[in-house]
Amino acid sequence: MNKYITKAAESAAKAVVLDDMILTVGMPTTAGSKMLDGYNSLFESEAVTKLKSAGYGIAGKANTGEFGLDFLGETSHFGACADESGNLISGCAAAINDGDAFAAVSLDTNGTPRRAAALAGLTCLKPTYGTVSRYGIVPAACSGEAVSVTAKCAADVAEVADCIIAHDFKDGTSLPEEVCNSIKGNIKQGEFKKVAVIKNLVDSADSDTQAKIASACTALNNSGIATEEINDEILPLSQSAWFILMSAEACNNISRYDGIKFGYRSPNYKNIDELYTNSRTEAFGLLTKLTVLYGSECLSDDNYMPVYDKAMRIRRVISEHLNSLFEKYDALLLPACSKTAYSEDEVKSDIDTAYNESLYTAPASISGVPAVACAGVQFIGKALSDKVLLGLAQICEKEA
Amino acid sequence: MDKKTLIRLEKLNQLSLTESEEAAALDFFARRGNQAEALNGINTDDTERMVHVMPMTNVIREDKQSKVFTRDQLLEGAPESMDGYWQVPRLVD
Repeated sequence: MNKYITKAAESAAKAVVLDDMILTVGMPTTAGSKMLDGYNSLFESEAVTKLKSAGYGIAGKANTGEFGLDFLGETSHFGACADESGNLISGCAAAINDGDAFAAVSLDTNGTPRRAAALAGLTCLKPTYGTVSRYGIVPAACSGEAVSVTAKCAADVAEVADCIIAHDFKDGTSLPEEVCNSIKGNIKQGEFKKVAVIKNLVDSADSDTQAKIASACTALNNSGIATEEINDEILPLSQSAWFILMSAEACNNISRYDGIKFGYRSPNYKNIDELYTNSRTEAFGLLTKLTVLYGSECLSDDNYMPVYDKAMRIRRVISEHLNSLFEKYDALLLPACSKTAYSEDEVKSDIDTAYNESLYTAPASISGVPAVACAGVQFIGKALSDKVLLGLAQICEKEA
Repeated sequence: MDKKTLIRLEKLNQLSLTESEEAAALDFFARRGNQAEALNGINTDDTERMVHVMPMTNVIREDKQSKVFTRDQLLEGAPESMDGYWQVPRLVD
């Protein structure tokens, strides 16, 4: 199964499992990478501090893909986490489904927690960017990654999310306290009118996923919420634009791992250049290396304006486009991934899987808006509509 | 991207790919480049770049010392250390 990298010695009554991108004291934090194998942080993340203050225990550190860049943990240095059928499952999702943990707190860099929840029948909230502190996470793509919460149902997600949503002066991107407080409290009920179904993205998924979208529509309609199919040509642009921005930011963030101050150091070197190169080459997996190299190319003198700057302008186009959609709709309904199961072998044999599947998760990542994965589907809403999305999730959970 | 550029990037990023990895990388970058072409279909001449997805305000706090780590604590994670310093290969002959 391979769900944990580190399991807590004692289990708490109400325990939360952390993915291994979240810094802890007393348990190593590896980010799924050989580079950080055995690394012990001197401080813990703000989210962990808040969870402990609220009385939650920590079940352990769940297996995660290297720096959260992959599809579903397949690039972990410690081996992927798969179920008995050989299908990938995230370590966090496995810990919840096995009853080890009440909820999971994980870092959504490239959509992994959302697709993990969709595949495992769980509910996951990627909150509005800036409402949960990113202090004490292993950073890869700072401008879009968000600390997320997964649990068996929307009510449990809301309970844990309310515990970690807060302004934090240690995080320069943290939203003001009054803004964070505005999304705490009860899940919104009965305030919904219309949800847009992104037909072209639904059509690109397999028939089982389309059936889940249809079930979600039925559940919404039965609750008096209208659904309207729309074709949207802007949202798919998120995929390329987010990959450019994520790669560029990952290139910078991952440059800190040099084998000098902490982390893995190759035993094979004769001089400082060989120390750097061999340490990084031996420690990183192929997807991480390709992401770093692509990000470096996007930031090069020749490509900065036509590629990186272009992606940042496209980010505004997408963000403004989403805002215009949210004037007409309470939320957007789309898949979280294109299938309902993925074998470890098929994902490992195709290095494009993470990129291809980010078609569904990149719109929320690049724009910072909240997203909820539940009942095998995904809702995206306007900024700070987190509890509206969890309300929609509850409706789908009842019918599922 | 051609192989010469790839090798330059490897050097710049202190990475060294095998020949098969380089072949995979060139294919990977070609596919990403083709897919990114779609972005050029949108005219962004009059669109400002968006660096932060949420409104940002400058964070100002009191300039006071908080938690401080000791030298020993900082060296706990060092791959190699000696006499209270990080140990590295000789840089200057």
